[in-house]
Amino acid sequence: MVFVFASAGGYFYYTSFKEGAFREAESETIIRLERINKNLSLLLSEYNKPVRILAGMEQLQELLSSQGQEALAEVNRILDRFRNTLKADVCYLMDNKGNTVASSNRNDPDSFVGQNFSFRPYFQMAIRGQAASYLAVGTTSGKRGVYFSYPVYGYGKESPDGIVVIKGSIEMIEREIGFTNDEIVMVTDPNGIIFISNQPNWLYKTAWLIPQETASEIAASRQFGSGPWDWVGLEITDQEYVVDRVGQKYLHHQIEMDNYPGWKVNHLLDMQKITQKAFKPLVVFVRPIVLALFVVMCLSVFMLYRQASLEIRQRKAAEEALRESDARYRSLYHNTPAMLHSINRKGEIVSISNYWSEMLGYSEQEVIGRKLTDYFTEESRKYAEEVVFPEFFKKGYCTDVPYRVTKKNGQVIDILLSAIGDRDEKGDIVRTLAVSIDVTERNRALEALRKAKEELANYSRDLERQVSIRTREITNILKYTPDVVYVKDREGRYVLVNSRFEELFGVSNEEVRGKTDYEIVSKEVADEFRRNDLLVLQEGKSMQVEEQVQHNSAVHTYLSVKFPVYDEAGAVNGVCGISTDITAVKKAQDQLRRLSGKIMASQEKERAAIARELHDELGQVLTALRMDAVWMQERLKGSDPEIAERALTMCDLIDKTIKDIRSIAIRLRPGVLDDLGLVDALEWLTSDFENRSGITCVFEHTDVPDLHETVATAAYRICQEAITNVARYAEASRVSVVLKTENNLLSLSVRDDGKGLETSELAGFEGVGIAGMRERAMLAGGNLEVMSETGRGCHVLFKVPISQETKVAG
Amino acid sequence: MIKVLLADDHSIVRAGLRRIIEESEDIEVIAEADDGKTAIRLAREKSPDVAVIDISMPGLDGLEVITQLKIYLPSLPVIMLTMHEEEQYVVRAIEAGAMGYVTKRSAPEHIVKAIHQVASGYRYLTAEASEALALRIAKGAAGKSTLDSLSNRELQVLRRLAMGHTNHEIAEAYGISTKTVDTYRLRLLKKLNLRNNAELSRFAFQSKLVET
Repeated sequence: MVFVFASAGGYFYYTSFKEGAFREAESETIIRLERINKNLSLLLSEYNKPVRILAGMEQLQELLSSQGQEALAEVNRILDRFRNTLKADVCYLMDNKGNTVASSNRNDPDSFVGQNFSFRPYFQMAIRGQAASYLAVGTTSGKRGVYFSYPVYGYGKESPDGIVVIKGSIEMIEREIGFTNDEIVMVTDPNGIIFISNQPNWLYKTAWLIPQETASEIAASRQFGSGPWDWVGLEITDQEYVVDRVGQKYLHHQIEMDNYPGWKVNHLLDMQKITQKAFKPLVVFVRPIVLALFVVMCLSVFMLYRQASLEIRQRKAAEEALRESDARYRSLYHNTPAMLHSINRKGEIVSISNYWSEMLGYSEQEVIGRKLTDYFTEESRKYAEEVVFPEFFKKGYCTDVPYRVTKKNGQVIDILLSAIGDRDEKGDIVRTLAVSIDVTERNRALEALRKAKEELANYSRDLERQVSIRTREITNILKYTPDVVYVKDREGRYVLVNSRFEELFGVSNEEVRGKTDYEIVSKEVADEFRRNDLLVLQEGKSMQVEEQVQHNSAVHTYLSVKFPVYDEAGAVNGVCGISTDITAVKKAQDQLRRLSGKIMASQEKERAAIARELHDELGQVLTALRMDAVWMQERLKGSDPEIAERALTMCDLIDKTIKDIRSIAIRLRPGVLDDLGLVDALEWLTSDFENRSGITCVFEHTDVPDLHETVATAAYRICQEAITNVARYAEASRVSVVLKTENNLLSLSVRDDGKGLETSELAGFEGVGIAGMRERAMLAGGNLEVMSETGRGCHVLFKVPISQETKVAG
Repeated sequence: MIKVLLADDHSIVRAGLRRIIEESEDIEVIAEADDGKTAIRLAREKSPDVAVIDISMPGLDGLEVITQLKIYLPSLPVIMLTMHEEEQYVVRAIEAGAMGYVTKRSAPEHIVKAIHQVASGYRYLTAEASEALALRIAKGAAGKSTLDSLSNRELQVLRRLAMGHTNHEIAEAYGISTKTVDTYRLRLLKKLNLRNNAELSRFAFQSKLVET
């Protein structure tokens, strides 16, 4: 086999190699032929130009016109010079009749002088005025040559006086081309006459067989001597090959020569030589390969033998191992901790593993021969017989079939049974090998897991439902609340706004998202918002702030509750704000305050009026009355003691009445306050308080400028209220009232050393005096602080700025 | 004869006063004015010896009238007449330049005496008025820390103690119990860091609380 393949391979290699050799030879030949042709063309046109120069020498024209001896000598000298210089064969001059008048070979035995070559085509062409080149065998010399001719004109002549010719040697050209021995090159004329060749004995013979009449034509032309022109015996078999007379086959190529129409350069390559050339290295190469192949084959046979004997030994060992393995399998079958069993085609148990009997509690003797399905529950038995068995005997295996099996103790367990079938030679299943896994526990666990999952699903559904309800509630709250609700991120960009926000600012949730306040409200308002937001973000605490925004040219006041929003990690990542429009409330509050102020002011005014009326009018009348009573008493003291006594009684009554009226008037409004100012009024008030209550009351004051009536009244009334409270509740022994002005701030401080109040109790007193004091303080443009601690007295502090407006004018 | 100018916006008060004043043989009311401006004009026209002027009058009030009269007629003694019992008015009136101070209620008993006194070149003040004045002067003159921490009543008690009044007399004067007066006395000693009544008296004199 190896040999056959090797031979076939060799053959293919050989043919392909041969083919390659031919292809290579062919391409080489073509290149070679081109080169030869090119060289020939060059060599055969060598004298083209020199002949023109020669024809232009005036000595030649002179000789042709004069035929003098001197001129002849001169021309001969020129011709000799040209021949020698050009290494030409011969140079000669002919007259217009074709007679040679001068030649460089005049002294040779085959001199051309006097010879007539007018039959030559080169003469005929030149005398017609054309340059010509011509290949021929010399009629005189018998030597092959290439002839170059050119007309020689006399002065002003239309037709040439003669022609001049340079003949080159073909032998020299043949030498210069340089043929090799492997090839045959021949240059043939249009008729096939071999003119140039590296086969000297083929010269002047025809390459191909030519007809007789052609031969006569050739003879007539005298181009190639007198003949005969024998056939060398070449024959063209097909396009590429020629065969010679003895049957030798040649690779043949031919190419047209330049400048010589019909002339061809032929190239023959001996086929045998090609083959030889190609296969010489191959033979040297192939012989050792064949030898090596033989050795390899011998070795292979030996190896195969060895291999065979080894396999026999191995098979024996394998059989031994199989026996062992079978034994091991049996042991494994019985001892493996898995429920294994086998049944036959009828479904009867053939064998069981020890673990099987252990698990189910039946002994081997009990079960062998019994049907496997006898141990199944009714349901499983039906399933096995109707579904699993038919399928199994068709397919040959089953995996993880769930059965329920009854143990000997009556307990039912879940198993998963997988089995494969053992087939006999016919391919029928004869018995099975099955393994069962107890999945009772696992099934229980799975069931529990399923239940847990279900519960979880229920729970999460419930959760989702609750979330959705809550979300809906919150969404509705956000939607329908009259408050403005919004959430911004740390950078102050809106994340969410409610519908009220959308309505107020005329933007939608989508539009406002990602924008800051600076894109929605004026810079001042946005600055304020941002400041408050930043406070919340920094402190992480909620805050309440009043913010003012302009809507449709009306400024609205909002009470904003702002609080931080946290991310999952518990970091503050934004701020949420709920803003309630309290413009109306504020307005109402302002109105109420103004109203309250007005009421108080008018009350004071009225009181003052009544007080003045009482004090001045009624008082004056009473004093006048008293004066008269005293006067009467003085008058009647002597004359009518009884009436005088009566007048005295009257006087006392008037005194008492005046006192009452004064008291009422002062309580309404002290005249001191209006007549002498706050300091005097407070001095009187504290002194009067001390006299009435017995509580020591110290009044201190700095220089206080004239005050506006509102401020003075407020301060007076606050002080009055404060000390009244002291007398009523404080159980104090001492009250200190201090009035001072500092940096345009009037402060009135009333401090007692009484039992004091808990801060929590203060709220209760707000209803009585403190609220009234606060109200007065606020109306006067100031504020009131009440500080107290149990056992440390009470301190009421009223502060009010006194600008130029609060001071009374003049 | 002492010529008196009477200025009060209430004619019945003026009439009553006139009657009382003219009971005295040597006093004659030569002019009556019912407002401040008229009072000044009449004072300048009629050259009275004493002017009795109500402190509260429409237009220029009494205090202003005194101020102006001090400019035009510096030697004319003025008695301030008032409905007000408050001592604050006394102080203002004396500060403005009044030589006497009489409340309308006490006028029948005091006015004639007052006119005589100021016409003779003396001041006329009731006991209460002189007390108020003394306290004010003392407070104004003394160093801040000493008297400022005392209440009005404390100052009154201090003054009277310095003047040699007994606890009983002081209690009587202010309508308080003698026990209270003693409490005041002890508190004063403690506050002023003094040991006895003699030291209290010296302190009161030093503080110009009592005229020497």
